[in-house]
Parts: sequence; structure tokens; C-alpha cells
Amino acid sequence: MADTLGAPSRAATRAAGVLGPVTMVRIAIVAAIVLIWEAAAASGLFYRDVVPSVVAVARALVRVLADASFYWHLSVTMLEIAAALAIGGTAGLVIGIALGGSRLLSKAIEPYLYYLGPTPKIIFFPVLIMLFGIGPGSKVAMGAISCFFPIVLSVAAAMRQIPLVLIRVGQSFRAGPWDMALKVYIPAMRHPIINGFRLGLGIALIGTLLAETKMSNRGIGHLIIQAYALFDMPRMYAMLIILFAFAIGANSLLARAGKADGTMG
Amino acid sequence: MSVLPLPKAQAAADPILAVDDIVMEFPTPDGVVKALDHVSLSVRAGEFLSVIGPSGCGKSTLFNIVGGLQRGYQGRVSIGGEAVEGPHPAIGMVFQEESTFPWRTVLQNVEFPLEISGVAKARRQEMARRFIAMVGLGGFENRYPAELSGGMKQRVAIARTLAFEPKILLMDEPFASLDEQTRLLLGDKVLQIQQELQQTTLLITHNITEAVQLSDRILVMTYRPGRVKRILDIDLPRPRTSETIGSEAFGRFVAQLWSDLRDEATRGMDEQQELMRNAGRGP
Repeated sequence: MADTLGAPSRAATRAAGVLGPVTMVRIAIVAAIVLIWEAAAASGLFYRDVVPSVVAVARALVRVLADASFYWHLSVTMLEIAAALAIGGTAGLVIGIALGGSRLLSKAIEPYLYYLGPTPKIIFFPVLIMLFGIGPGSKVAMGAISCFFPIVLSVAAAMRQIPLVLIRVGQSFRAGPWDMALKVYIPAMRHPIINGFRLGLGIALIGTLLAETKMSNRGIGHLIIQAYALFDMPRMYAMLIILFAFAIGANSLLARAGKADGTMG
Repeated sequence: MSVLPLPKAQAAADPILAVDDIVMEFPTPDGVVKALDHVSLSVRAGEFLSVIGPSGCGKSTLFNIVGGLQRGYQGRVSIGGEAVEGPHPAIGMVFQEESTFPWRTVLQNVEFPLEISGVAKARRQEMARRFIAMVGLGGFENRYPAELSGGMKQRVAIARTLAFEPKILLMDEPFASLDEQTRLLLGDKVLQIQQELQQTTLLITHNITEAVQLSDRILVMTYRPGRVKRILDIDLPRPRTSETIGSEAFGRFVAQLWSDLRDEATRGMDEQQELMRNAGRGP
């Protein structure tokens, strides 16, 4: 809804060739943060390099981006997150449909999911290492378990919001369970599913990176913790900035997928 | 395409839908409510039968039972002698609520039943286009329901059900949410389609004008528990249009139906008021 209301004004802004008020405020916020950061760095109030100057961070950023091995680590992390989201998301979707479609299953199982959902999944990590080794397998498992919960719960809730008449239409045309899932349930839940996956993406990112910082020899999480261990703060901040950019990019891709059919539904 | 009404004798010989002695009870917190009480009816091939009754006469329950979406009743529903247990390929349902799929275009909506039954894409698009044209929505194939008016959406739903090619078209107050003008014009459309396809139709409605305008026979139901009060033959000449409404014969049928329904509707209103009064009084 907000998106459809926002669309014309955004188009008008582009046509007029000036920045809209929202963009102005956003730029102002970033500028303010950079200024405060630089002031803190120059003040010398903080222990050595905890707050390095913006210039130092920018230099480190350039160095990181110019380093070929960084891209290998980045691709490892991205693939891990993609695999985690695919595995945890598919499981969440299938189980969420089953829970949302059955009162019995929902009453019996959902309470457990609600309790397990907010539990920090890092407590499972030792088990995952034993199961999947210290390579990418345990990181993928960590991310998959993390994103499974928000996705399964939002799909189960969305199943119960589908207008009954749409389900009856499917039944009256004698759609089997498979057609009902693919042609009625999933498209009817497309908006909550996309939102569940956006939530899941953020949490898969946290889970995967957290796992990478614990016991591993590759990935962005590993590089960040390495930079920290060497107390190379500018390099660590540079990598955090790249991570932010990556998360924002992936999130807006998912948001766009949610709007692809051009309906408000 | 001019089609004469079926000769009476031939039609009578061929009931394709039979509803025998249906009893349906629902448990509620205040005890068991009997929605349908020994209801029987039959629909002949090519016939347009309307079931009319006040709110709370069990019309929608009957709709769901005939459509195979409601179980737990006593009695029997059969098509050509074969018992109906669940949604049947010979029955196509049109629902009262807005029922188009908002994520599908008009064309994709109408293709839906054909997709389910596995019709190849080229063939089903061709069929869907034909039924879209039939309900007068040619040119809107690629629009989404959100871009259409209520009457247009309901026409999409009707086209979608027609594409299922049911022997019996089963409709539950399909025009209930529309304004009077749209309702009359859509009635014309339904009459035209019914003549073109010789479509056997069972319409559930509470609208007297609509029932007389469209039907060959009208079955009047009582307020709760729903029983068959009377079956009325509407022998107005066909083809009909909404202009038939002005005729003297039309007025006589409406008057007769209203005198039947007034008692039932009054009883329904009184009982509902009584219920509300009791609910408001508290313990």
C-alpha cells in the first residue's frame, strides 16, 4: 500500500530532476554520522584505533576491494547464505503450509516453534560442527536453522489469512493438494512469504556470519574476526560497510520480487 | 443463434440433478440448529431453476451441499443417477463473495480450471478467450482484478466457471454485492449465455425480480428450518431481457412470490430480533 502511494511521487521527483525530501533527509543522516565519526576520531578520546578516521577507513576499503582473495571470501559467504536461505526457506514454506492447513498440527507443533524461535541458534553450533564439519556445511546449517523459524511462522500465519472463498474455488474445480499449494496457497500468500524471506535473509546473514567468526578459515565473518584479532580496525570497518551494502542490496532485490506482479492483493 | 426452449415433455423426462430429502443440522452453543429439513428438488436438462428464500433459510448450505463442499448431511445428491460425494466435474460453482484470484490476469483466471484439468496452453487460452468474450469482457484479458469493477470481477468468475464446462451451473447470489442497474444488466448477460449454451442452471438468490427474470421454475423456501414451501412455474416467454420486468405477467409473479416470502421474512426478522434481545439482556 505504502509502495503504491509512494510510486507517483517518486516518479514525479525523477521527472522534476531534484531530490525528494526523503532522499535529502537520508543523505543528511549519513553526512551527520560521518561528521560525528570524524570528530570522535580527531578528538583522541578513544583508545588508539577504536574509531579510526574516515580517511583511514576509506583507504582500507579501497585496499580490501582491490584484493582478489577478498572476492573469494565474499563469494563463499554469499553462497553459504544463499544455500541457507534456500534450505531453511523451503523447509519453512513446506512445513508452514502443513501447519497452517491443519488445526491439529498447528496446535500440537506451533507452540514449540514459538519457544524455539527466539532462542539464539548459536547454541546449536557445536553440534553442527560435529555433524557437518568446520567447512561451509556447518555455516549453511547454522544459517538455515536461523531463517527457518521466522519463515515457518509467517507462512503458517499467512495460511490462515487466505480468504476461504479462494480455497473453495480451487476445491470446486477439483484441484489436488499439489495444485492447491502451487496455484492457490503460495500465490495467495506471496506478500507474507516475501516478507518472511526478507526477515529470514537478515537472520540467515547473522547466523552464517556468526558461525564464520567462530571456527572457520574462510568467509567474510572469518576476515572480520581476523582483522579484529590483528587490531586492524580500519579494515574491519571497511568489511562491515561492504556487508551492510550487501544486506541492503539483497533485501531490496527481495522487495522488488514482492512487487513483480503489479497487484496490491 | 436462436434456440427454442426445450419442449416440456422432453425436459421433464430428463432430470440431471436430483436432491433427495436433505436434512442438515449444525451444532451451536445454543443447541442444534436445523438448517435444512427434508429438502428435495430436481433440475432438468437445460432448465433454469432458482431457489429463493429469506436470509437464514439454509440457501447457502444447500449451495455448498450440491457443490460437494459440505458434508455431514442426511439425504442424497445425484447427477444423472450417480451420487455426488465431493466436488463433481459436472457442477461448476459461482460464489457470492469476490472470488477472482488477484494475482492472475482475467485471462489467467479463466484459464484456471483448464490448467487444473491439464488442457494444453494454446487450447486453454483459446477457450478462455471465448468465454471472456461471452461475458462481454473482450479486451480486458490482460487486466488484473484490482483494475476491474465489482460487476466485471463477477463476470470473470462466471467466465471462469463456464470454462470448466459444467453440465450444471450452480450460483450462490452472484449479484448480491452489486448495485441494481448492474444486477439487471448482468441478468441479461446470464440469460443470453444460458440461451447460447443451453446451460442448465441452479441459482440461489433472495432477489425476487432476479429470480422471475431468469427462471423457468422458482422454488420458495421457508425460514429456518429450510423447507420447500412452493414451486412456481414461470411461463414467461423466452428469450427474455430485463425489459420483461415491465410486463403485467411479470408483476403477477413478483406479487405472488412476495406474498409467499413476506411471511417467512417477517418470521425470520422477528426471531432474529428476539435472539438479539436475549443476547443483550445478559444473565
